[in-house]
Amino acid sequence: MSEGYLTFDRVTKAFGPLPVVEPPFDLTVDRNEFVVFLGPSGCGKSTLLRMIGGLETPTSGEIRLDKAAVGPPDRRRGMVFQSYSSFPWLTVAGNVLFGMRYRDDLSTAEKRDRARHYLTLVGLADFADSYPNRVSGGMRQRVAIARTLAAGSDVLLMDEPFGALDAQRRESLQVELRRVQQTDAKTVVFVTHDVEEAVFLADRIIVFSQRPARIVSEVDVNAIFGPDRPLSLRDEERFFRTKTELLRLVRRTAGSEP
Amino acid sequence: MSKEAALHPIEQSAEKTPEPTRPIEPGESDLNALFTLRGKPSRRAEALVAVVACILVFVAWEIAARLRLTNPIFLPAPSTVAATFWRMSTEGDLLLHAGISTLRVWAAFLISAAMAIPIGILMSSYRVVGAALEPIVDFIRYLPVPALVPLSIIWFGVGEETKIFLLWLGTFFQLVLLVADDMRRVPHEYIETALTLGAKPRQVLSDVAIRAMLPNLVDSLRITLGWCWTYLIIAEIVAAQSGIGFVIWTARRYMKTPEVMAGVIAIGIIGLVTDQLLRQLHRRAFRYL
Repeated sequence: MSEGYLTFDRVTKAFGPLPVVEPPFDLTVDRNEFVVFLGPSGCGKSTLLRMIGGLETPTSGEIRLDKAAVGPPDRRRGMVFQSYSSFPWLTVAGNVLFGMRYRDDLSTAEKRDRARHYLTLVGLADFADSYPNRVSGGMRQRVAIARTLAAGSDVLLMDEPFGALDAQRRESLQVELRRVQQTDAKTVVFVTHDVEEAVFLADRIIVFSQRPARIVSEVDVNAIFGPDRPLSLRDEERFFRTKTELLRLVRRTAGSEP
Repeated sequence: MSKEAALHPIEQSAEKTPEPTRPIEPGESDLNALFTLRGKPSRRAEALVAVVACILVFVAWEIAARLRLTNPIFLPAPSTVAATFWRMSTEGDLLLHAGISTLRVWAAFLISAAMAIPIGILMSSYRVVGAALEPIVDFIRYLPVPALVPLSIIWFGVGEETKIFLLWLGTFFQLVLLVADDMRRVPHEYIETALTLGAKPRQVLSDVAIRAMLPNLVDSLRITLGWCWTYLIIAEIVAAQSGIGFVIWTARRYMKTPEVMAGVIAIGIIGLVTDQLLRQLHRRAFRYL
């Protein structure tokens, strides 16, 4: 935590008179850390995520990435949404290539190689020529992840990316995402309201109150499970216990706040 | 044995279900679907119903005319109209007039589209453009085109300009709002995804937003082209020496009802063919949908 790769420095946000983040929000995320923002729907956690991406600006305070204040959106901070995550008019490979469209530092051949590499990494090599509407919702999310990785983003910002998937797809994508994040060494900020998802994916969970967003608790999941998260972790006693404790905490938070 | 039965309760009960008393004919389920609330009959069955319904209407009409149940001056038989249509196309110059009308429609339509597409896109992309233009566009959109015919004649005389102007007037203001709406419906996620992939605002517009709206835009254009034909007749009735509207209006003066109907049918055929061609184009261009 001493490194301070991504930092929120006394950040607040209000939409008009409506406070979304208050009191001032402080947080430090390490390089290659997987941080999950966990909180009830509409609590303001997505707004915090969008502020990292430059899609919203803080009302006061500052967000810094690698010691420099973040500005308008650029490809260093790639966003993956829950829906409309891939472009339907491009093939799967076309979508991944689109991630590198605005990179002049790569030759066409390099772009092709990178696209193939990331398609393989997310297990989509066989679907390169399919259109997004012809593949499953889970595959469309893989496309979006591969595209963001191919673009060369340093930070992956994920706004409930698996929220619209069925339970099985969601589980397998969580395993994949965690694996990809470990192999490709990326910093991830992941927003969800699903406690189990948070526990499975996160190095560290930030638990939020109802709006306006403030931190209720921080859970160092790495201290409990370590960095490796195989699917079998879900069946373990300690996973179940952590999940239950956190669920209780979230329930208490939801009950005690207006 | 009893344990085994308990494991397969579904198969057991399926065996006990009585056989349907009547064997199901091939295609019967299809016919049933036609009469089921929200049923899903096949395309072939639907096409069949459409053709049969059309034939029934024409046959009823023909019989009514032949039996002199209707006055031929008001409602000539369909066979008479078809014969007139054929004669006007081969001996007369109906095709020439149809060609002239089509050219007018396309000229006005292309001018409308060329103006409406960029302006509509800007209206929903930049609030300043939208706020400035929306009240004006909304006002003019509700003016009935026929009410502006006299003004149009004062401005442009009775030449081609008046016709093109009236057609443009009837379509541009509608189309600009349709285009603005198509652009507004492009999911915000596409825009923001492109921004976080490093696209500049101009690139977001050209590489993502316009590409995303394209299928809806083509649909809006197809609908607008249909409206052009409505206004064309008004324009050609008022001031023209050529075109299908002129043909219809001239025939009316001499009570040549079959010719009036032939003219109307010509418009219908042109409209139908154009619409089908554009639909086909849409299907081919946007296979990914």
